[in-house]
This record gives sequence, C-alpha cells and structure tokens, in this order.
Amino acid sequence: MTAPLLEVDGLRKVFVDEEFETPVLKGVTFALQRGEMVAMLGPSGSGKSTLLSILGTLMRPTSGSFRMLGRELTALREAELSDFRNQQIGFIFQYHHLLPDFSALENVLFPHAGRLWRETRAGRERAAMLLERVGLAERMHYRATRLSGGQKQRVAIARALMNQPALVLADEPTGNLDRENADQAFALMTEIQRETGTTFLLSTHDRELAERCERRIYIQGGVVVDAPTSAALGTSPAISARQPLRMVPGEVVAVVDRTSNTTRDDGDRRLA
Amino acid sequence: MRFDLKVALRYLLSNRLQSALLIGGVAIAVTVFTFNAALINGLAEFQIDRVVGSSAHVVIEPAKPAPRIVTAPAGTERLVVSQRALERREQIKQWRSVERIIDTLPGVTGVSYNINGTGLVTRGQQTLPVTLKGVEPSRLAAIAPIDRNIVEGEPRLGLNDVLIGRKLANDLGIKVGQPIFITSNQGRERTLTVRGLYATGVDSLDARLAYVNLDTARVMFDLPEGLTEIELKLADIYAARAVAKQLADTTGLEVTAWMDKNQRLREALEGQGSSGSIIKMFTLITIVVGVASALLLTTFRRRPEIGIMRSFGISQRFVLSVFMLQGALIGILGSLAGCFMGWGFSYLLAQAGKSSGRALPVDPSLGQYDVALLLAAAASVAAALWPARSASRIDPVEAISQ
Ligand SMILES: Nc1ncnc2c1ncn2[C@@H]1O[C@H](COP(=O)(O)OP(=O)(O)OP(=O)(O)O)[C@@H](O)[C@H]1O
Ligand SMILES: [Mg+2]
Repeated sequence: MTAPLLEVDGLRKVFVDEEFETPVLKGVTFALQRGEMVAMLGPSGSGKSTLLSILGTLMRPTSGSFRMLGRELTALREAELSDFRNQQIGFIFQYHHLLPDFSALENVLFPHAGRLWRETRAGRERAAMLLERVGLAERMHYRATRLSGGQKQRVAIARALMNQPALVLADEPTGNLDRENADQAFALMTEIQRETGTTFLLSTHDRELAERCERRIYIQGGVVVDAPTSAALGTSPAISARQPLRMVPGEVVAVVDRTSNTTRDDGDRRLA
Repeated sequence: MRFDLKVALRYLLSNRLQSALLIGGVAIAVTVFTFNAALINGLAEFQIDRVVGSSAHVVIEPAKPAPRIVTAPAGTERLVVSQRALERREQIKQWRSVERIIDTLPGVTGVSYNINGTGLVTRGQQTLPVTLKGVEPSRLAAIAPIDRNIVEGEPRLGLNDVLIGRKLANDLGIKVGQPIFITSNQGRERTLTVRGLYATGVDSLDARLAYVNLDTARVMFDLPEGLTEIELKLADIYAARAVAKQLADTTGLEVTAWMDKNQRLREALEGQGSSGSIIKMFTLITIVVGVASALLLTTFRRRPEIGIMRSFGISQRFVLSVFMLQGALIGILGSLAGCFMGWGFSYLLAQAGKSSGRALPVDPSLGQYDVALLLAAAASVAAALWPARSASRIDPVEAISQ
C-alpha cells in the first residue's frame, strides 16, 4: 500500500476574539488515501467548513499537523502555501463563486493563467477540454453571470480541476442545487474522480449522496469519528448499525467505513 | 497580454461609470496643473521679457571699498560707523582691460560703456532732477531699444544733444529742437539741444532719464578716463549669474546679474512660482485622495472575488499587481487626457487674447506636460498602493463567507 495522500494528526482549531474562545476542532486525526472519494458529515456548526479551510491551507490550525504529498503544510510560509494550493488543491464551494466579470472559459483558466501571469494556448485548450467534459462546450464564452446555478457549479468543478490537483475539497458542493442538478454535479465529480484518480473530500448534509461515496467520516464534538452516535446524527440505519466506535482515550483515530469499498485499485490512476 | 493587466482592464471596464469618473477626475486635476503651469510660466516669461528686454543682463560697477575694520579695547562698547569717502569718486579706471575680457566672453550680444550721474534740468522757472546717462552714440541701443522708442525727433547723440523722455518734456513744456540747461552734481553747466523724445512706457524712466553723449558726460562729471558702469546683454539671460561671477572673479569689480538687480521682479516671480506650486500640489493631492478612495471602495466590493482567487492559489503579489495596475491605468489615461485638455484650454485662451488685443500671458508650450504626466501617474500609483495592499491581504475564508 502506498503512503496516504493526506495525513492529519491532532489538528486543533480554537477561534479567539475579544469576547469568546470557541474551540471547534479538538484533535482531528485521519488520513485520505490517493484517489478515494470521501464524504464528510456532521451537524451544522460541527466544524466541517473549518476543517476544509485548514486542509485547503486557507486557514492555519491552532495546533497539530497535517502532511500532504510528504510535505508538512503547517510549516510553510504564506507564499509557499499559496503556490501549493494553486498546484495541488482544488476548491468547490456551496455557492459556485465564479468571478462575475469573466467568461466561463476565463474562470476555468484563471488558476493557471494567474500562476504564470499570462495565458497560454495549452492552458486555454485544457480549460476548453474541461468545460466540454462538464457539458458546457456551448457556454464557454458566456459571462459567469449568464449561467444557471447548475451550470455555474459545473464551471466551478472544471476550475477546481484546472491545475490537475491531487486533492479536491468540496464544501457542500450540491447544497445550493435542486435534486436534479445536485445529482448531476455529484455524478460528474464521481466520474472525474474515477477517470483521473483525483482524491475528493466533500462535506455534505445529503446522506443519499454520502452513501454513494466510497467512504464517510463524521465530525462530532470537535473530532473525527468513523461512525456517529445516533444522538448526534439522528437515525441513519445505513450508518448507525455499523461498527462500534474505536476510540482511543484523549484522541480519536479515524474512520473506516468500507461498505462501498468497490473494486478500486490503489495505484496512481491520475490522468495527465 | 499580461494576465494581471487583463484582469485590471476587465475590472476597469466592468465599472465603466466609476472608471470614467475617476479618469475624468484625474484629467481635470491635470488640466488645472498644466493650465496653471502655462499661465504662471507664461506670466513669468512675460515679466522677465519686459524687464530684461529693455535693461542690462549684467552690470559692472566700481568695487565698493571694504569698510575699515575698527578695533576697540576689550570691555568697551563699540559703535562702528562706516561711510564711503565722499571725495573719492567711484569709477572704473581700468575699463580698457575689462573691455578686453568682455571681448573674449561668449554669448555677449551687446555692451555699453557708460558714465551715469545726477543733475538738474532747468527750463524757464522750472527745475527738475534728472539722471544723466552718458553712452557712446554707436551703442545707444545696445541695451534698451531707445532707437525704437523714439516718438519724436531722432535717436542721434552729438556732443550737444540730449534725448529725454516724453513725460519729462511735457513736465518742462519743451519740444524737439529746443535747448535745455543742465547742471551736473559736479557743478558743471551745459546747454544741450533736445534731439528726440522717447517713450518706454515706464514712467520713472520717461520722467527722469536723459541720454547724453559719453564724451559730454566725461566733461560734466569730471571723469576724463574712467567709467561708472558697463552694461552687458547676453544671448542666454539665465547665464547672467555665471557670467557675473566670472567677471567679478577676474576683474575684482562689483558685477551684478539682472535677477539680483531686480529684487521686485524676483520676489514677484518667486511669489507666483510658490502659489503655482501650491496649486499643483493640491491637484496632486486631489488625485491621490480620489484614486485611493475609489480603489478602496473597489477592493471592498471585490473582497469575495479576491477571496476566491486566493482560494485557488492566486498569489498576493498578483492581487497587488492587479490593483496597482488599475491605479496606473487611471493615472496614465487621466493625465494624458488632462494634458490634452490643459494644452487646448491654454491655446484657446492665448488665441482669444491675441485676437482681442489684450493678450493673456498664457503660453501653451510652457504647460510642463511631461512633469504633469509623470507626477499624476506616480500619484495614482501611490494612491493605489494602500488599497492594493489591503486587497492582497484579505483573509480568503472571511471574504468567501461574506
Ligand atoms: N471566524 C470564526 N470566529 C469564531 N467562530 C467561528 C468562526 N468561524 C466559524 N466559527 C464557529 O466554528 C463552528 C464551526 O463552524 P463551521 O462553519 O466549520 O461549521 P460547519 O460544520 O461547516 O457547519 P454547516 O454545516 O452549517 O456549514 C461554528 O460554531 C462557528 O460558529
Ligand atoms: Mg459549512
């Protein structure tokens, strides 16, 4: 077995302002293997977005460490993080967040052109290919503001993949879409994950979609567990009956829910 | 095209009204800057021209004797009274050698060797004070264009001739061809014939100054050899100080450049210059404040977008550059337009002045357009610095969740 793509170890996050200290993550430990698609569940306010922001190097943890591709990311300086983020991490947010003054193509191209400070023919070709892949070949030169919600989210998916990242972090990527568009976007992500071997970590409140992922992790009480207590997540027959919690005192080790452990080899299947 | 430039342009174009207002604001400020420069510099040129056109650029006079040093016993109070010896006339005795030096100087376009003094002119019951200027007839117009200023009679200076101002003639009630009686301050008396009347437009000259032949002045002021003054005219008026210094060093005489002789003019020019500078400074401040506040609003409005860019790894330097470029583009476009408007405005006013006869001293060629362009662009970039820095430091998580 190859080394995990991402290893998170004892990650803590306490928000401090003048009035309050809010401990949100209290020692998160888990790992992501290369090429897997993992859903992250947890009640509202449990810290899913916070954890994704930290893993995406947009926010620094209060303590703890995480390594990705063999690099200790908590040790990097801001400029290095920015560069790492550009090359290895793709973000998809709940509200697509396209740049409104740019076309679909330019939005997809932006992470690439912004890194090189210029547009290249290869970049434009890849951006066009990605838009075609998400079914928007016709809409390539439309302004972002002239696309529908579902189309915008597909552009955002294409943009997240532009620089061929090792990891895509998606924060409720379907949370703002209707059922049909949500299914379509999710299907697109799973297809791309299979085709390219890109690792996906997505937070969602949608159990149905979570069930379609290869693996689920749960945030509860500031730690990551492999299965939630029913009190925390309500009833979810598919989940609650599974394995008991494997809890080490003081720390929590993540997560394996192998129900949908399909025939997936561990080799690096990322396409060029 | 650089991608940061493309993004900056896209942002400027996406908010056309704001960009147009900003560029227009810079343009107006630069219009004021350049028009102000054209006016102040044109006025200065005009004033200098008037003074320098009819007077010497460099004046050589006898050395002032150094005041004697008086020593007094320690502890006593000292009162030093220094008075120039009255009996010793100040004159340039060795002027022939000075002439040789002047002949070697480049850029000298005219020289006049003079004997000046005061006297009284009498006509009937009237007696008025005059300043007599003894000049060589051939060099009569070397300094002031007296020949062109003659309004009656002719610019001729024989040994018994005198040229006086029209105002003095009126005061005395005298006409061309009539005699006047002059007593010099050395007590010499002479009857001279009025050959011509001139009008320079400067009252103090037209009422007080009388030109006589240098040889006549020699007699009247008891100076058989020396001179009291040598006047020079230069091709480049701004070389006057350097020429004066050189002459003072080589001759030991008192040599003064026009700008040091005309304190009034200098003060006027300095006053105009500094009020002009204050106006220019305010136009630059206007640019900085306008551009900075507008760009700050822009960065604030675009916070979420900047957060998104940062989330996909766009560097802080790139964000900084995008906003600095917006400032630079506004500055360059605005100041180009402003230079054009300032030139046009100055040109129209200058033309209008010419056709109506009362010319405003605006000189469109003196608008300092290069300086305005440079300073306005620099001011805009400087104004963009703060907004750009704050944009580049936006916390992406906070901005995205807005
Ligand atoms: N900047 C902040 N300062 C203080 N507290 C914060 C800050 N950001 C988040 N929190 C708190 O951290 C907790 C976790 O927030 P987070 O957004 O990560 O939850 P979440 O799991 O994504 O919730 P949801 O499912 O509703 O999106 C919340 O209680 C929130 O109030
Ligand atoms: Mg959230």
